[in-house]
Amino acid sequence: MAGKTLARDRSLWMTYWLRLRSNRASVVSLVGLILLVGLAAFGPLIYTKSAITPDYKAINAQPLAAHWFGTDNLGRDTLARLLLGLRVSLIVAFYVEGLNILLGATLGLLAGYFGGILDVLVTRLADMLFAFPGLLLAILVAASFGAAVTDRFGGIGRLLLVAGSLSLVSWPLMARLVRSQVLVLREQEFVVASRSLGASDAWIIVRHILPNVAGLIAVSSTLDVAGVVVNESVLSLLGLGIQPPDPSIGKMIVDSMPFLEANPLQVFLPSAALMLIVLTVSFLGDGLRDVFDPRSLP
Amino acid sequence: MGNVILRRFVSLPFVIFSITFITFWVGFLAPGDPILSMMGGRNDQATYERLRHLYGLDQTWNDQYFRYLGGLLRGDLGLSFRYQGRPVVEIVSGGIPVSVSLGAVALVLSLSIGVPVGIWAALWQNTTAERLSMAAMLMLYSIPSFVLIPIFRWVNYQFYARGWPSLPVAGWGQPEHWIMPVLVLAAASVGYIARLTRVSMLEVLKQDYLRTAYAKGLGQNRILWVHAFRNAVLPIITVVGPSVAFLVTGAFVVENIFAIPGIGFLSVQAIQQRDYPVIQSTTVILAAAVVLMNLITDLLYSLLDPRIRVEG
Repeated sequence: MAGKTLARDRSLWMTYWLRLRSNRASVVSLVGLILLVGLAAFGPLIYTKSAITPDYKAINAQPLAAHWFGTDNLGRDTLARLLLGLRVSLIVAFYVEGLNILLGATLGLLAGYFGGILDVLVTRLADMLFAFPGLLLAILVAASFGAAVTDRFGGIGRLLLVAGSLSLVSWPLMARLVRSQVLVLREQEFVVASRSLGASDAWIIVRHILPNVAGLIAVSSTLDVAGVVVNESVLSLLGLGIQPPDPSIGKMIVDSMPFLEANPLQVFLPSAALMLIVLTVSFLGDGLRDVFDPRSLP
Repeated sequence: MGNVILRRFVSLPFVIFSITFITFWVGFLAPGDPILSMMGGRNDQATYERLRHLYGLDQTWNDQYFRYLGGLLRGDLGLSFRYQGRPVVEIVSGGIPVSVSLGAVALVLSLSIGVPVGIWAALWQNTTAERLSMAAMLMLYSIPSFVLIPIFRWVNYQFYARGWPSLPVAGWGQPEHWIMPVLVLAAASVGYIARLTRVSMLEVLKQDYLRTAYAKGLGQNRILWVHAFRNAVLPIITVVGPSVAFLVTGAFVVENIFAIPGIGFLSVQAIQQRDYPVIQSTTVILAAAVVLMNLITDLLYSLLDPRIRVEG
């Protein structure tokens, strides 16, 4: 096959892209995710109904021309709220993964590469945070600082606090994964060879270590998004996340639950949106794992 | 065996220290003056000083931390901010038996469904029924509880609307109040346990000693339950620790939606009332519960698996 001989001329990233494209589940989930991000970014600009102003003539309404997805118990437009809630979920996920990569991956990489006192400090700190099961630490931090942060910095501050507290739960895992991978890479022949040729630590990290952990970081942060989106919803429904009247998917589900019998769509539409994010991200993460698996290199 | 247990007990103080230290600092750094908000509009310096002293807030941070630790050791969790002068222990102690019994029932239920399903799936590997059931288990594992609850409630409502027997939507005290919360809590761990059991059982089924057992003509049942199951069940014990961590997060959501007066419900109430000492205490209690469960499973594991005892 002609394509096979050309494979070695392709860049590594091109190979990755072709491999991702050949997996149908990954392509479908990638397209789905792009659509979701597009909806969150541009949806509220196109569907301009207010997510906050109630329509007193349509309380708990079924879908109709004026309100495509109906309204909630206060007469607020569900589609408009859903689009903004989607935006909140995705922004929080984006911030959390940003923090995880900036903090967790960087610390894990440096700790694994340099070892010594830095390694001890990073692993001990990660172990300390690991002592808290599940969301407990995020709940504690969001509860303790939430009110003051909202008073001083408003909605954006609250969003960042939610992201920060969720990241407290997930960066230690990222640091641990990257560190253990770097510990292996550090002793590999190509790194030793590079060092014996006089390469500096910075060169080795950027040219040899980073490209080899980039896949791991991409895969684990993509897979982590599913958990972060769910956790953001949990914080919001406990009253710790985005504050009313601003919408959040978790809060929408819980607020509509008392009216489940009269208007089930108000509960099931946000639930479906949440599951859609979780599923697309999980399938994409699984696809990326196969893409970056060195055992599947041609 | 001594070594493994010893190592466990050496790391235990570190974990306990981490939990109490971080919890203390979060509370210490939490902005706002609790005494001031407690006094409301009154402006009385003498009362202010007296309250500050009563709550120990006039001490330096390390005195406060050691006072807090000492209190924890004596089972004294400090005083509530919201209910002035009322000990936190009084507030949270009512919730502990509720949460523990709910979690224990859910755990037993998820083990007694998850383990048989996992074994069945391993024995019927690569059949359509097995693939479908494992997909269902993956669904159970990945659906968050607050999405599962409305589905349950909606099905329940359809029963109610047709005059069929149905369950109460929320509340606590009657046996029927248990059914929905326990099912929701168990759902995620069932999926997790079933998938893990299947993998562990498949691993054992490949082993040479099973082929030997077949070769020497032992019966199918004896091979399955004596040779395979006993070895497959070992890794399943380790699942119990993570499952309890699931249950802790699940308890927050489930107890609040079903209005069950457990630890998760009390924590959220305290969050709404900005009662930080109560939030701190419930965090420490829940984290300690998970640590304890992990310790017990590890001990059980090293007790049951002779290889670990020797190597440890």
